[in-house]
Amino acid sequence: MKVPLHVAKEQEVKAAGFKPTPETEIKEKFLAKLDDVRSSMRSIMVMLETCTKCGNCAQQCHSYLGTNDYNNFPAARAELMRRVYKRYFTTAGKLLGRFYGAEEFDSELISKWMTYFYQCNECRRCAQFCPFGIDTAEVTIAARHIMSELGIMPKFMAGIAVNMEKSGNNMGIPKPAIVDCAEFMEDEMRDETGLDIKIPIDKPNSDVLYVPSSADFFTNVDTMIGAAKMFHHLGVNWTISSKILEAANFGLLFNMNVMREHNQRLKEAAREVGASLVVQGECGHGWRAARMYTEGASGPVPFKIMHVLEYAAENLSKLPLRKLPLRVTLHDPCNYARAGGVIEQPRQIIRACVEEFVEMTPNREENFCCGGGSGILMDEMMEIRMQLGKKKAEQVKALGSLDYFAVPCSICKAQLPHVMKHYGMGSLSMGGVMDLVGKAMVFDK
Amino acid sequence: MLYFIGQVFPYIAMGVFLAGLAWRVLTWLKAPVPFQLTMFPAPASAVERVTAVGKQLCLFTPLYKGDRTLWFWAWIMHVSLALVIVGHIVGIYFLTQQFTLIGLSPKASTLLSESLGTVAGIMLLLSLLALFYRRTAIAEVKRLSDPADYFDLLLILAVVITGMHMRLPTVHVDLPVIRTYLGGLLTLQPVPIPENWLFISHFLLVNILMIYFPFSKLVHLLGSVVSRAMISEAPPVYPTPAGVQRQATIFAKEGQSYESSATRGQGTGSQSRGV
Repeated sequence: MKVPLHVAKEQEVKAAGFKPTPETEIKEKFLAKLDDVRSSMRSIMVMLETCTKCGNCAQQCHSYLGTNDYNNFPAARAELMRRVYKRYFTTAGKLLGRFYGAEEFDSELISKWMTYFYQCNECRRCAQFCPFGIDTAEVTIAARHIMSELGIMPKFMAGIAVNMEKSGNNMGIPKPAIVDCAEFMEDEMRDETGLDIKIPIDKPNSDVLYVPSSADFFTNVDTMIGAAKMFHHLGVNWTISSKILEAANFGLLFNMNVMREHNQRLKEAAREVGASLVVQGECGHGWRAARMYTEGASGPVPFKIMHVLEYAAENLSKLPLRKLPLRVTLHDPCNYARAGGVIEQPRQIIRACVEEFVEMTPNREENFCCGGGSGILMDEMMEIRMQLGKKKAEQVKALGSLDYFAVPCSICKAQLPHVMKHYGMGSLSMGGVMDLVGKAMVFDK
Repeated sequence: MLYFIGQVFPYIAMGVFLAGLAWRVLTWLKAPVPFQLTMFPAPASAVERVTAVGKQLCLFTPLYKGDRTLWFWAWIMHVSLALVIVGHIVGIYFLTQQFTLIGLSPKASTLLSESLGTVAGIMLLLSLLALFYRRTAIAEVKRLSDPADYFDLLLILAVVITGMHMRLPTVHVDLPVIRTYLGGLLTLQPVPIPENWLFISHFLLVNILMIYFPFSKLVHLLGSVVSRAMISEAPPVYPTPAGVQRQATIFAKEGQSYESSATRGQGTGSQSRGV
C-alpha cells in the first residue's frame, strides 16, 4: 500500500485493539461496513445521494487550494466513497453502472481512501458553502471508521489508541508524572504571584471537572496556568482527573468505537469526582466530541458541559485583568466555530486581555483550518501539512505585524508553529487564549 | 401505441415518481441521526430554524457566499422552472384567462399569460445551457461529471425545447383540447391524447423525466431539505433533560472490530507513543 503516511503494522493494529482483515476478505468486509455505516448514519445516505456535483466546494477547501490535488476537492473526495456506494447500494448505480458514476470496489480504493481521507481536516468549511449542506467531514469520519474496522489505520492513530486506553490521554502519561508536572506549574505560579494556586489532581467531591489537553502539561503549560489562575480567583472547587487527562478524543478521528470509549471515560471520571460541571480545555475536536457526541455515544448526561472559553467569558467581569500591550489576532479552530458554537467568547476574552485585537479574513464560522485538523499531525506528512496550512499562512501574513497569534486548540498549537516557520513567520509567538488570561490577570500581593 | 403513451404511461410515470420519491425519503428518514450535526451559529428556536432553512433553500444563500456566477444561473434556473410549472397549471386550467380575475380583458390576459410563459421558458432555456456550459468549462467540474450529469441536463433541455417549440407563432396548439385531455387523466377518465406530435413528444419526455427523477441526483429536491434540516438541528442540552435518548446504532452492530482491553483480557505490551 503506497500512501503518504505510515500505516499501522499488524502487531500495532492488534495492540490498539483491532482485528486485521486478511486480504481475501477485504472486499466483503468493506462492503458490510459501508452498509453498516450507511444504515447507522442518515448523513452518509443523504449526503452521498444528494450531491449534484456543482463544484462550488472546490474553491472553499484549504486542502484543495493548498495541495492542488483533484482528489482533495471535497466533492471529488466524497466521490471516492460515492462511486462504490452507488454501485452496491443504489438502484440506478446497479442498473446503469459507469453511466451513473458507479464503480466496482477494487483493491486500489483502500490506498486512495488512506491517502485522501487523511488529507481532509474534517473542518466542515465545505458544508458551510454547499447549497445542500453536504458535510464532507461526515464522509471522512465514516471512511476512516470503515478502514479502522478493517484493521487499516495510520500508525499514528493506532499509537494514540493504545495510549488513550492505557492512561486516558494521548501521550500515555502516567499519574505520577501528572502530579509532578502540576507541582512544577504550582511552583511557577507561586514564584510569579506569591499565591498558593493549586492544580488539584483527582480531588474527590469537586464541583468542577476540568479536562485539559494533555499537551497543556508539557508544551502548552501557559494554557493550564491561565485556567488554574482563573479557577483560583473565582474560588472554584475544581479538579483534574488522571482518568481523563485529555479533552482530545482521537476516536472521533479514526474509529467511532474508540470515540465512545473515551467519551464514557468522561462520564465515569465526572461521576467519580462528583462534578456537576465539566469544563473542557483548549482542544478543538475534543470539544466537538464532548459537546456534540456525548449524548449519542453514551446516553443521557447528568452534568453540564462547558468550554473553558465559555466559562471564562461568562466570568470575565470578575477577573482582575489588565490589558497587555499586544497586537493580537485569533484563529478560530474549526471545531469551535463551525462545529462547536464557541465563536464570540474568545473574542470577548481577547479584547479584555490585550490592547489591540485584529480579525483575519475570513473569520468566525468561515475561517480556514490550520491544516492539522482531525489529527493530521504525522511527522511523515510534514510536506503535505505545510500545503494544508497555506491558506492560513496567507491569512495571517495579510495582517502585517503581530505580537501574538491566539490559537486556542492543541492541534492548531502543534501545527501552526511549523506552518508559520515554513512561510517565513517563524518569529511570531503563539499560544492559547487562556494563556492571555493568565498573563493579563493581576493579583494583589 | 398512442393509447399506451396517452392513457397508460402517464399513470405509470406519476406512480413511479411519487412512490419513488416517497421510498427514497423514507429510506433516509429510517436511518438514525446518532449525533447532532449542528452547524454553528445555530438557530436558537424552532421558528428560527425553519426560517433559516427556508431562506437557504429559497435563496440559495450558501451558494451566493461562494460562487456568485453559479448562484445566478442556478437560482434563475430553479425559479424559472417553478414559474413554468405554476404557469402550466394555471394557464391550462384557465385557458390563459386567469388574469381576467384581476380585471384584465380576456385578450390582455392571454397576452400576459403567453408573454410570462415565454419569458420564463427562455430564462429556463438559457440557464440550462449556461449550467451545461459551466459543467464543461470548469476543469474540476468537468472531471467530476459522469454521463448521467449531462443526461439530466439534456433531458430537461429536451422537455423545454419541445415545450418552447409549441410557442412559436407558426405552430398551432389547441389549448382547450389539451385541457380536456389532461382533465381526463386527472379525473381518471382518460381520453385519447391529441394527435399533435409536438405535444405528444413534449408530454412523453415529461413522463420519462418523472420516471427517471426519483433514481437520479434530481432527488436533491428533497435531499436538500433533509440534509439542511440535519445540519440546522439544535445542539444537545446538558444535563440531558429527562426522556431524551439518542440512538447511536453504529456501536451496536455485529462484528465490530475494536475491542478494548477490558473485554479482550489483559492489555498488550505495545509501547508505541502518540503525539
